[in-house]
Amino acid sequence: MQYQSQAVAKPYFIAAIGLFVGQILFGVILGLQYVIGDFLFPEIPFNVARMVHTNLLIVWLLFGFMGASYYMVPEEAETELHSPRLALALFWIFLVAGALTVLGYLLVPYATLAEITGNDLLPTMGREFLEQPTITKIGIVVVALGFLFNISMTILKGRKTVISMVLLLGLWGLALFFLFSFYNPTNLILDKYYWWWVVHLWVEGVWELIMGAILAFVLIKMTGVDREVIEKWLYVIIAMTLITGILGTGHHYYWIGTPEYWQWWGSIFSALEPIPFFMMVIFAFNMVNRRRREHPNKAAMLWALGTPVMAFLGAGVWGFMHTLAPVNYFTHGTQITAAHGHMAFYGAYVMVVLAMISYAMPILRGRAAANSEKSQVMEMWSFWLMTVAMVFITLFLTGAGVLQVWLQRISESAMPFMVVQDQIAIFYWMREVAGVVFLAGLVLYIMSFFVGGEEKTAQA
Amino acid sequence: MNSSVQHANGRYPPGDFAIWIFIYAELLAFGIFFLSYAFARANNVELFNESQLLLNRTAGAINTLLLITGSYFVVRAVAAIRDDKAQLCSRWLMAAIMMACAFLAIKLVEFYTKYQEGISLSTNTFYMFYLSMTFFHFMHVILGAVILAAVMLKARNGAYSREEHTGVETGGSYWHMVDLVWIILFPLVYIIR
Amino acid sequence: MSEKFTKSMARNIFYGGTVFFFLLFLALTFDTAGVLPDRDHRENITEQVALGKKVWEDNNCIGCHTLLGEGAYFAPELGNVYTRFGNSKEAIIGFIQSRPKEGIPGRRSMPQFNLSDEELDAIAEFLKWTSEVDAAGWPPNIQG
Repeated sequence: MQYQSQAVAKPYFIAAIGLFVGQILFGVILGLQYVIGDFLFPEIPFNVARMVHTNLLIVWLLFGFMGASYYMVPEEAETELHSPRLALALFWIFLVAGALTVLGYLLVPYATLAEITGNDLLPTMGREFLEQPTITKIGIVVVALGFLFNISMTILKGRKTVISMVLLLGLWGLALFFLFSFYNPTNLILDKYYWWWVVHLWVEGVWELIMGAILAFVLIKMTGVDREVIEKWLYVIIAMTLITGILGTGHHYYWIGTPEYWQWWGSIFSALEPIPFFMMVIFAFNMVNRRRREHPNKAAMLWALGTPVMAFLGAGVWGFMHTLAPVNYFTHGTQITAAHGHMAFYGAYVMVVLAMISYAMPILRGRAAANSEKSQVMEMWSFWLMTVAMVFITLFLTGAGVLQVWLQRISESAMPFMVVQDQIAIFYWMREVAGVVFLAGLVLYIMSFFVGGEEKTAQA
Repeated sequence: MNSSVQHANGRYPPGDFAIWIFIYAELLAFGIFFLSYAFARANNVELFNESQLLLNRTAGAINTLLLITGSYFVVRAVAAIRDDKAQLCSRWLMAAIMMACAFLAIKLVEFYTKYQEGISLSTNTFYMFYLSMTFFHFMHVILGAVILAAVMLKARNGAYSREEHTGVETGGSYWHMVDLVWIILFPLVYIIR
Repeated sequence: MSEKFTKSMARNIFYGGTVFFFLLFLALTFDTAGVLPDRDHRENITEQVALGKKVWEDNNCIGCHTLLGEGAYFAPELGNVYTRFGNSKEAIIGFIQSRPKEGIPGRRSMPQFNLSDEELDAIAEFLKWTSEVDAAGWPPNIQG
């Protein structure tokens, strides 16, 4: 560890992984509820389990981004973090606020939660992914601003690299667009229009900048390839991201009451959104091919290469499959969406955070560069279990979705939603099996942290 | 992925490799628009023919001449810097920028007229395409002019020479792309029936 | 030296491209805002419809259902449920009211929210209004 203050990343990473486990436990619950409809009803209805699952995902990824930033920025800026104490304080605030929110979801009926948290003063609850009480959202903004202040001050007083500037831009963008979650007009169509300014401009916008910066950092550290080359291509990749992604927002504006020209604008630009992901794959493999050193952390290398591949498949390919308006007309709001969503999130964001943790954690725990052979092997097994399981989850949901679209929307004798759900149950059962395998992979991943042993002597 | 230094005596493509990724991306975006237009037209021939009649072809023709002349001026500018004549280069670029401004002015009048006639993106599919594509192109002309202006200022300040003028070639390539797009767009939308 | 120059060019394209497309996005947003009133019939957003949206949010209906295709995929699309239930507010109200507290054994179950009469009427009004939004012919059929 080059700078003492990088150590604050550790609690963030640990919290991230802990919340990840929570997310997957609830994922397995949801998968079972799909086929045993009243599982845990009425104590934990589907919608409650779902909001726990999705909110935990977002929060653990945020912990991951913050941890990554606290690790990367001192090293990039070549100076200690502005305030490690602030970082630790914000850690506890965020963790406690998050835990209380999740407990709120689980322990009281949602309408009651809305009432007791004063939602009526400024109603922001009850929208997908934005289920948090308004006071929690305010808390998130406060934590984000504190975090941004800390990171920005560090960069300001130190060396300004492209990687840290791109990361910073992505993080400020994340905070800025989150503010739209406070805008909840009475007009449902306007509500939906601006909701996507949070969701799309996050995951198909500024989050890609964060992902690119993290990936670039890990690749520079592990391959030793010239920074100039990596940074130039980072700019090219993020340029393509925003050039395609900003107008690509239009692919959410086909069927929600907005003008029909969005079907053209959205289709054309969102069709191009896979390009930056494709470039990331080429970029990552090219860098590793041209590496000037053999980094001992093979596990991290696996995550670093797997990330762009799965991101390209999940976000790029699966996204493309249902992005054109004529196709989307039939697939909108079906299991096709769920299939894409799972692989995209896993490939782009889950994996890049795990890549960062894989790279940084050994160093944070006192290793020179990597864990023992045994630990790495176990971690790599967990990579394959989770990744292959996710591929199967996606394939099964795609199958479910295709059949759903056919039976419910295309067939001459279209069947009602619930009838169709029964028809596609077999896919849901298979998905659940894959989900359990994913959980097993995650357990193995956790176990790898506790496997000791001697680090292989570091090679130059 | 090493970017190689492009020499004045013509290693192709001129300008930096990275810019060509963007030029191709631009051409791809416009290309998809053109194809979409063709597809939409095939499904709405009468509507498209009818609506097309209301377009101002004279303005379009003048605009075509303005852009082509601008491209000629850009070619002269590149020739000038290859001859180590930075000030002459910057003057040719200024002339090209003037052409761009004239284009923008005429186009603005065209847009305003349509707006006065109550035509918008939602009027019908033809106008959606007409307005979308020409506005998208309009913004690229602005961008092209901005790029030429930046290059012009740098040339005036002595940043380029016979040996090193990648920037001029890169900016020039971008301008030519903008011109090329119009040369396809104009007949496609204004003329072909 | 050319290397460094190229990185700045990539940087300029990034910033320039982002500003360019964001401006374009704002322009289209502005146009959309102008067109929306013709499509969303906002003059029909009465106090009841507004209350209905609040009830929808306070009970997190989107956590199981989709509305205009957005939401969760556990339960049916409700953007066109008013039409699907025969243009009947009573049918909607009746359905919500009749959900058993303990659920339906073995089946996907909807909670009993114990809504007041006013809230029930409001949510039905809200769903009626939603069904009248011009969603470009979506969904493809009555099943949603």
